[in-house]
Amino acid sequence: MNVLVLCAKTALACLLIVAGGAKLSDPASFASTVRLFIPVRVAWPVLSAAAVGVSLGEVAVGVASLTLPAITALDVLVFAIACAFVAVSAMGYAFHRGRSCRCFGTLFQRKFDAAGVLRSAVIAGIAAVALVHVGAAALQLDATARVLLLAAAGLLTLAAFTAARARGTGSEPEPKVVAQ
Amino acid sequence: MILASSFVVVALVLCMATVLALFGVTHVSMSGAEAIERDGLAPGVHAPVWSLVDSAGKVVRSPPPTPLQLVMFTDHSLKAFPSVVDGLREVMAQELLEIVVLTRQRNELAESVLRSIGLDGISVLTGSPSLYAAYNVRVTPFAIFVDSAGRVRASSLVNEAWQVTKLLQLADLPLEQENLAPRGRFRRRTAGAGV
Repeated sequence: MNVLVLCAKTALACLLIVAGGAKLSDPASFASTVRLFIPVRVAWPVLSAAAVGVSLGEVAVGVASLTLPAITALDVLVFAIACAFVAVSAMGYAFHRGRSCRCFGTLFQRKFDAAGVLRSAVIAGIAAVALVHVGAAALQLDATARVLLLAAAGLLTLAAFTAARARGTGSEPEPKVVAQ
Repeated sequence: MILASSFVVVALVLCMATVLALFGVTHVSMSGAEAIERDGLAPGVHAPVWSLVDSAGKVVRSPPPTPLQLVMFTDHSLKAFPSVVDGLREVMAQELLEIVVLTRQRNELAESVLRSIGLDGISVLTGSPSLYAAYNVRVTPFAIFVDSAGRVRASSLVNEAWQVTKLLQLADLPLEQENLAPRGRFRRRTAGAGV
C-alpha cells in the first residue's frame, strides 16, 4: 500500500510539473483558454498574467510536493487542485465542448470532452489515494535526496517546456501574403 | 533504511520515466510528415545573417545585395531531382535573383555535380548543421527566398519545378505589415503551408 501511495504522490507531482512547464512554453494560447472561464471582459495582459500565474503555480506545487513529501497540507492542496481540474473539465464539457483545453499547453491536443472529465476524475481519485497516511520513515528525506529531487523536478520542467515548444510552434497562424 | 529511501527511488524513477516519455512523444511527433511540412521559416521573419566564401573566392552574403536571394539547401543529391533542377534553370533567368546552394557540410562532389547538370553560375557554399538548424531545415532539397532586408519571403521543401517557380511568385508578393516580425523572433511555418 505504501508504494501505491508514494507512486500516487509522485505521479501527481510529475503531472503538475509537466502541465505547468508545458503551459509556460506558450502562455498566450493558454490565456485564450482562461478567457473562456471569465464571464467579464478582461484585458489581454491580465489574462496572460493569469495564465502564467496558473502555470507557475502548477510547477511550484508539483516541485513542493516532490521535494517535501512529508507535508500533508501539500497533499490536500494537490487534491484540491485535482478537484478544480474536475470542475473545470465539467464546465468546459458543458459550455465549451470540443474546444481545446490546453491542459498540457501544446504538448497534447486535449479537448473539453467526456473523456477529459473522466481523466480529471481519475486524477482526483489518484490525489485521494495520495492522501492516505504512510509511515513517516518512507517520506524522510535528507538534504542530498532533496537536492536530487529538486534537480529531477527542474529537468522535468525543462523537458516539458522544450517538448511543448518543439511541438507547438507550428500551431501559430501562417502569415499571409497579399497580392499587390 | 530501505523504507526511508523508498520515496526518493519511486520519485526519481517516475521523473526519469516521464522525461523519457516526453522525449519519445516529441521525437515521434517531429519525425512525421506533418512535422516536416512545418520546417523552414515563416514569411516575414528575419533570416540568419551570414557571409560565406565560395570555391572561386567570391564572398556571398545573406541578406543579399540583390532584391531576392534563393538559398537552396541541397548538395550533389539534387541530381536525383531533375524536375527541381529544371525549376532552378527556369528561375536562373531572373536578373534580380541571386541563387546560392548551401550544403550542410563540406561536400567535394556538390559543385562538380551541380555544374554537370547545368547549374553553372550558382555559388556553392559550405554551410554547417547549425546554419541548417537556424533556418529550421532538416530535409533537402529545401528552398528559402530571402529579400535584401533579410526577411524570409517564401520557404518550402521542393520536389518539382513548379514548386520553385511558385515560390518565386510568392516571394515577389509584398508582406502584410502584421507579418513583419521583430528580429530574433523564431517562427515556424504551419503544416500544409508549403507550395
